Amino acid sequence: MTSEEIQQIFFVECEESLASAETGLAACKTGTQDTDTVNSIFRAVHSIKGGAGAFGYSGLQAYTHTFETLLSDVRDGSVPSTEPLVDLMLRALDTLSDHVNAVRNNSEPPEDGALIAEMTAAQAGGSADVPETGTVTTEVQLPPAPDSSDSSADFSFDLDSMLDDIVGTFEPAPSASWQLFVRPHAGAMQNGSEPLLMLRELANLGGDCTACDTSHIPPLDKFDLAQGYLGWSFAMPEGTSEAAVRDIFDFVGDDCTIALGDGAEMPPFLSVAPAGLPSPQEKQPDAVTAPAAPALVPEAATAPAPAPPASAPPAPAQSIRIDLPKLDRLIDSVGELVIAQAMLAQRLSGEGIAAEEEMALLEGLTRDIQESAMSIRAQPISSVFSRVPRILRELTASTGKQVKLEVFGETTELDKTVIERLGEPLTHLIRNAVDHGIEGPEERLAAGKSAEGTLTISAEHRSGRILIRIADDGRGIDRQRVLAKAIEKGIVLPDAQLTKEEIDHLIFAPGFSTAATVTNVSGRGVGMDVVRQNVKELGGRITIESELGKGASFTLTLPLTLAISDGMIVNVGDQTLVVPLTHVVESLRPGPGDVQGMGAMRQMLNVRGRFIPVLPVCEAIGASSCLTDPERGVLIIVDTELAGQAALLVDNICDQRQFVIKSLETHYRAVDGVAGATILGDGRVALILDVDGLVASTLVFPERQAA
Amino acid sequence: MAKKPVTRQFVLPARCDRAVAEALLPEFIAATGSEPLEIDASATTQISQAMLQLLISARRSGSGAVILPSPTLMDVAQMAALSQELFDEARP
Repeated sequence: MTSEEIQQIFFVECEESLASAETGLAACKTGTQDTDTVNSIFRAVHSIKGGAGAFGYSGLQAYTHTFETLLSDVRDGSVPSTEPLVDLMLRALDTLSDHVNAVRNNSEPPEDGALIAEMTAAQAGGSADVPETGTVTTEVQLPPAPDSSDSSADFSFDLDSMLDDIVGTFEPAPSASWQLFVRPHAGAMQNGSEPLLMLRELANLGGDCTACDTSHIPPLDKFDLAQGYLGWSFAMPEGTSEAAVRDIFDFVGDDCTIALGDGAEMPPFLSVAPAGLPSPQEKQPDAVTAPAAPALVPEAATAPAPAPPASAPPAPAQSIRIDLPKLDRLIDSVGELVIAQAMLAQRLSGEGIAAEEEMALLEGLTRDIQESAMSIRAQPISSVFSRVPRILRELTASTGKQVKLEVFGETTELDKTVIERLGEPLTHLIRNAVDHGIEGPEERLAAGKSAEGTLTISAEHRSGRILIRIADDGRGIDRQRVLAKAIEKGIVLPDAQLTKEEIDHLIFAPGFSTAATVTNVSGRGVGMDVVRQNVKELGGRITIESELGKGASFTLTLPLTLAISDGMIVNVGDQTLVVPLTHVVESLRPGPGDVQGMGAMRQMLNVRGRFIPVLPVCEAIGASSCLTDPERGVLIIVDTELAGQAALLVDNICDQRQFVIKSLETHYRAVDGVAGATILGDGRVALILDVDGLVASTLVFPERQAA
Repeated sequence: MAKKPVTRQFVLPARCDRAVAEALLPEFIAATGSEPLEIDASATTQISQAMLQLLISARRSGSGAVILPSPTLMDVAQMAALSQELFDEARP
């Protein structure tokens, strides 16, 4: 594994740590300030600090150190956790996130001087308030920043700076000191962990290594690289707190046993047994009963305290990181499997072979594999939702509004590709809700509402799709104002008759904004257009519910994945096409008189008193020998973002099933009116209609196209 | 196929991590005999616990091992209270 790959893992872990800290601080904000929560925040920041130190990101390391010290004080109870302090830590977390991004992108680090001063003041203030607790915390001096020109800035423990520290700390230990014993076990040397780094940290704290227990190291022929054979004794200066020492080993948990205090002794050596074999130290006669999985066993059953538990800790859920391209190949292969299975079914049925039981089994297995493969790519939506608190903090700071966030369904899972493209529309919708929806405190109080607005974000699965709802309890959409503004901007004609829904959707029109002034939050009329575009590209839809004075909610209905979708297989002349089900409202065979001509070229379908333009797909795609009489064909009513509803005229509907989307652009080029292609059960290629594009380009209604 | 001559001289790379220790262990075992191993660590700038343990084990096996340390290795050994164990001539 190259150092770049290891750094990438570090950044992924940073993201996870930041999300974890964000969750913890959000819990603190709502009043949950138990030890577990504070510990989880501490661990997250500590992890980032550890990685930053290992990679030589001195700025990030110095910043996290200050943050971590404050968290340590909160954890110890020496600084009371108040609301202003939680707010400070949230801001500190935002800046930490900026720091991580800066090192990741090799850009300028954020300005953090003021925040560091604030955090330091919070620490000092806290300890000044409670001098009687007697907790003495030594201020840890960070090692000097490594030379960035040094090639050791990659993944390696920076021995040069380590040596500098060692030179500085190798003075006789102060006479008043306390004993510390450190015994890293096998796990402490795995997954890139390096116990010597922890020794360095102890040395940084002023610790003096007085002895190393090498008694367990066997000769080479019995040597096992998996074992941690060494144990160290340290003399720590009296002023060093136990907490500071324990923090160093937080990372490795049970993989490194420490014992401290006057009565402490060197923890026993724990050997890890190789899989299926008893450890050399194990004296059990019955080797067959040895555990199959690696397990830690104490060398001596009579190990003195403070020995760790003799049995292995319960194994946490295991996970591995997989390169995305590998997963993509798996998904592709599963797509091919789905097609192959359909082809086989069709061939067998063509040959008159009845293999229903076998085919049902194969179909069930194929579906299982498909679902499993898709679930590997699925991620909880919390990775997107976790960014919301920060967006909200920035918005409340810039608008002066008070907003409470409520989040539901953050464990809902959906495909990674959808997750990745969800961030932008969600951000715009939240900005819109806070800037336009939620009123200022005075206005809210005057309207009989609480001064603090509520923004609710939720996600849920429904009928194979995901529904994401962004709702606020603000002023709602003022339809009269929206319509007036749309007419003023020439987006709709002054005499246009629009339904409530159509007026609501006007806010998605490019360049539309009701904001009187352009602020840095909104007003340029770009954001909501972007939302519509993003959601459309994801194959989803937006619905708006709004009540004046009560609030508005935007519901995004999105597919769970972009790789496989549901569609209607239709025939048009000599072509077989797929109409994505997301667009389909209903399908019908018109009765006599339902379709009426309008002008020379156009036909309109009367659907329960409402006229919808008929679009002969045959003409649009250039197919030959197809039906032209709507009353003999089938009309599929589709909903489009740009041109409202339309009725697609096709010859017949032959199936409705899942299809695997193949990109035309990747293999050929983009084609207007075609969203992609798929392979049918009989091996033929069918084009997937881009319903939005097809309808908008064929039926030109100036007043509605603009909407 | 000609039998590969057993070497008792080893030159350690700059970065002596666990992977290097894994590669060296069988070589050390094969080379252990009546003569001490000669381990040249003069270019080593990074070292892991796995490697330190292996070096100590090599010192205790067969006729022992003589380690030519780099400044880094000497300093790490000093920090970890292993100087005598690794470099003391009186203790092979």
